[in-house]
Amino acid sequence: MSEGAVPARPAAPDREDGGRPPAARPARPADPALTWLPPALLVLGLGLWGISLPLVDFRSMDDYGLLDRLPVPFYASLAVLTAGFLVALRRAGTAPGWPLVYCVGLLVALKAAPAVLYDSVRYPWASKHDAVVNTLLGAGELRPHAALSGNMSAYDQWPGFFTLNAALVRAFGVESTAVYLNWAPIVLGLILLPVLVLLYRTFTEDWRLVWTAVWIFQLANWVGQDYLAPQGLAYVLHLTVLAVVLRHFVRPGSAGRLRDRTALDPAAATVPPATSTRQRAVGVLVLSPLILAVNAVHQLTPVMLCVVLAALCLTRRYRNLGLLAVTGLIMLAWDLTMGRPLFLETLGTLKESLGRLTQNSRAGYTGQLTGPGPELAGKAGIAMALAVVLFAGIAVLARRRLTRSALPLLLASAAPLPLFAVNDYGGEMLFRVYLFGLPGAAFFAAAALLPAAGAARRSRGALVRRRVTAVALPAVLLVLTAGFLPAYYGKDAMYYTPPAESALVTRAIDRMPAGGLLLATSGSFPEALHRYDEVEHWWFCEQEIPENERMLADPARYLADRIPRGVTAHVVLTRTQDVYTAGEGLLPPGGFALLRERLAASPLFETVEETPYGIVLAYTPSTTTAGGAS
Amino acid sequence: MTTPPAPARPRAGRPNRAGAAVAASGWLALAATLLPDGSVLRWPPVLLFVCLGPGLALLHPQPRGLRPGARLESFALAAPLSLALAALTATFLFLIGGFSVPAFLLPLAAFTTVAALLPGLPLPAATRGAVEPEGAESFLSRERAPGGGR
Repeated sequence: MSEGAVPARPAAPDREDGGRPPAARPARPADPALTWLPPALLVLGLGLWGISLPLVDFRSMDDYGLLDRLPVPFYASLAVLTAGFLVALRRAGTAPGWPLVYCVGLLVALKAAPAVLYDSVRYPWASKHDAVVNTLLGAGELRPHAALSGNMSAYDQWPGFFTLNAALVRAFGVESTAVYLNWAPIVLGLILLPVLVLLYRTFTEDWRLVWTAVWIFQLANWVGQDYLAPQGLAYVLHLTVLAVVLRHFVRPGSAGRLRDRTALDPAAATVPPATSTRQRAVGVLVLSPLILAVNAVHQLTPVMLCVVLAALCLTRRYRNLGLLAVTGLIMLAWDLTMGRPLFLETLGTLKESLGRLTQNSRAGYTGQLTGPGPELAGKAGIAMALAVVLFAGIAVLARRRLTRSALPLLLASAAPLPLFAVNDYGGEMLFRVYLFGLPGAAFFAAAALLPAAGAARRSRGALVRRRVTAVALPAVLLVLTAGFLPAYYGKDAMYYTPPAESALVTRAIDRMPAGGLLLATSGSFPEALHRYDEVEHWWFCEQEIPENERMLADPARYLADRIPRGVTAHVVLTRTQDVYTAGEGLLPPGGFALLRERLAASPLFETVEETPYGIVLAYTPSTTTAGGAS
Repeated sequence: MTTPPAPARPRAGRPNRAGAAVAASGWLALAATLLPDGSVLRWPPVLLFVCLGPGLALLHPQPRGLRPGARLESFALAAPLSLALAALTATFLFLIGGFSVPAFLLPLAAFTTVAALLPGLPLPAATRGAVEPEGAESFLSRERAPGGGR
């Protein structure tokens, strides 16, 4: 920030927890000429965003997804919001409401466009969660031990998110979650925002650092885990538990020099006051419903929570073995009762996946991202992650006093990394570990970009640093914004599914008898899991690539040999599957068209329905066909 | 820069309007579900109550008012706590096969009413922990009367 900026951390008073000397220079009043800028830029930024939306031709998305369909005013709105945020940041200490409003504005500008525009569910796999809620409402009860095909019973074993949405669907009086599903990133983002602020405020008194970290977090949160899915809610609950622990579980006599202002980074907050054993015991009681809810909602997040709490135990400040034991016991109790089937199955496969570091850290299912949009999205995502980690690393090394006082946040963010060695979690472990590391990474990245407000101002080095960061901060925020867009929207041709395609799939599944088998290349298409409690499914391209190549040689025979005898089997091939299998590299270029052509031409399959959005084929085994069991 | 601690803001005799509003929000949400299916008027009271009601009732009021930093905390935790309780309630109801909208909202509304009548959860920072430097303003601190809290 420039010299004219008012320090966001004002002169310090004496404090019961250590006090610190007054800042070297009294705070100057804010430049009155700037006060009109934050509201003006906010209105301009959101106005540009608003007028850009009708210009987005999302129905014609092609290679680059939504990226090349977003008009110039959309990009301009993000630039204006960034400029407004930087202006608001200069006065974060005296007018902290504006950075907050800008952070909310950024959330809306970054993620609300699909919710406003799309006439169907974004992310085909989100429609799976809609199907789970519908099935739950239809059954009226949980069936965790039903052993449904494709591990679908797991959703009844960790059902908290689905039961909550089932309750909301009925209380709202709507047909299904599809009505509000695309708004999930906004709602979850709004709930997460104050939790993040709380987390960062625990480690810094500099509001500029807090808001910049929140801003960077939002830009770097491109991983798309905040849609209507259990992990989005579980993540918020996880960070809430972490924030409470960091603020209320400091052990007496453990702070040492971290309450001595002279030993701290000028931006750092002193360690929160210590709590007695009784207070921490009450804290465990208060946290128990939150921890139980994390377990009820999602299977992986409780593991992350235990790992993070165990990492915090490495510090003297937060060595709360009792809390760790309670958290572990709640998780174990849930896993051995509600989650028993999947838990035991996972334990069985753990030995195989343990230590396969490169396998477990891969992104996606099996193939390589293919096509300009998905490739750009993949590269942008990796570049974003590396940039945030790089800046965080700079701050960790350059601002060692801040690193020392915020070490628990660093540990909590790095703790999930070893999970790479344990399990690949369906190819998603990379995204999950990144997401859980992001709060700390964003904090330290922000610290690298903001000089400490109370640092010695007259030294030449400090002056140079301030001038460099005055340029670096806006530049980095704009570059991260530019990275977010391809990473988040570059694959939207896969994510947007026209309503006519959903209708085709729904009709196809409704035609099938209970106990029928639905075949498709992958599960990433809308309504794929419609009636999943009655219809079995087989996503026959979700396997290793060489096996898919063997399948392509004679797909009809390949499938026929694996369809159990006497089962009514239908194949559904849709436009979204075509885009997905090509983009994720599951099939070679032209492979999907070849598959469709060969199946349609085979006497083993009969076309039931064909539309521009896909084809439905029924398996018609001849009496001479020897149908093998899969 | 030091100033003597200000006396606690007198709260006795002052009606706890915020608490009453939080307590009423559950019953309002329940009443809203009597509107016909598809009515958008059902959405705001239900969403606000499920997302915020139980948490706000649990965290407020703190006996001696909230410090600015603790105020941020009590608002930040309200939504996660509320959603956690709502998810656990719904899960329990589906586990016993007894889910219905009244069965979901009524216990939450009753719980919220009782919690709103009681003092907030005894989180240490609510009363003494998150002291902020004088002059530093939380973005939630402006509603506060001068000199209140400790």
